[in-house]
Amino acid sequence: MKTFLFILIVIASGAAAGLIHGGLNLIFVEPSLDQAIGIENQHMFASGEEKDTPEFWIKYDGYRTWQKSGQVLAGGILGVSIGALFGIVFALSRNSLPGKTDIKKALVLAGIMWLTIYFIPFLKYPANPPTVGDPETIVLRGILYLVFIAISGFGAFGFYKLSQKLKTKKLVAIVGYAAFIGIAFVVMPENPDKITAPMDLVNNFRIMSAFTVSLYWLSLGVILGSLWHHYKPHKEIIPFN
Amino acid sequence: MSQSRQINVSKNGVPVTAIVALAIVFVAGLFVVGFDQGHIFSLVYGEEAFQDLYIHELTHDMRHAAGFPCH
Repeated sequence: MKTFLFILIVIASGAAAGLIHGGLNLIFVEPSLDQAIGIENQHMFASGEEKDTPEFWIKYDGYRTWQKSGQVLAGGILGVSIGALFGIVFALSRNSLPGKTDIKKALVLAGIMWLTIYFIPFLKYPANPPTVGDPETIVLRGILYLVFIAISGFGAFGFYKLSQKLKTKKLVAIVGYAAFIGIAFVVMPENPDKITAPMDLVNNFRIMSAFTVSLYWLSLGVILGSLWHHYKPHKEIIPFN
Repeated sequence: MSQSRQINVSKNGVPVTAIVALAIVFVAGLFVVGFDQGHIFSLVYGEEAFQDLYIHELTHDMRHAAGFPCH
């Protein structure tokens, strides 16, 4: 395998999909975020922490513009990060993934990873807009979320390996994983925070958030698969003497 | 003169160096966007970074939008 080309393709596809994700969030998720932060502002005015003055709004608008640029930047960073994991798994599993072309293989893997390390954890610990989270519980919530993602991801991998070893059908691995993650779903503690924001806002935010993350995974699969197909980093360099 | 070089390659033909490099990128990126509460800048700015939360504030919107715990 051409090491440098492989890393380059993985980083480029992660960055591209991540920037798409950040850009989509500006359109689809930011309205909910602005609304939620608006509620936070009203709380601050009510408690006397801030005053509802023109100066406050000038400062606030400047701050939010900066934070929105951070949305796209963070999209790029997160995109490269998740893309790196995707690239590792794709390179290691490419030979056993179904599908004739690299794009199909990449899409199958993106679908599996989307389901196991994003969507199922999302169902257990759904995304919340600002105003919902309690700063006191952030470490606990972070640990719960990461642990559940790890349980789901390693669980899926473990059942796949087990079915390979026992030479059973893939369906057995899927049923095994489903039972395993079902138990983890029930056993793992709930998010300790109470939702105080209007449920309409929270639900709308969650739908938009899941929508753009899903598009990120789709973009990642298509872009990595296309680049892989085009540059073929798995081909060995044939030395000539 | 003949030369022999040894490159560590996993059994799928994927170079170990590439896996390690990408694994570092994965962990570092995930920490920056999902979990930093001043830790990275505290290496340079000390305790002040835990008050400023520069990276937390900059990645704040994506942190919420991608489903990471935040407040």
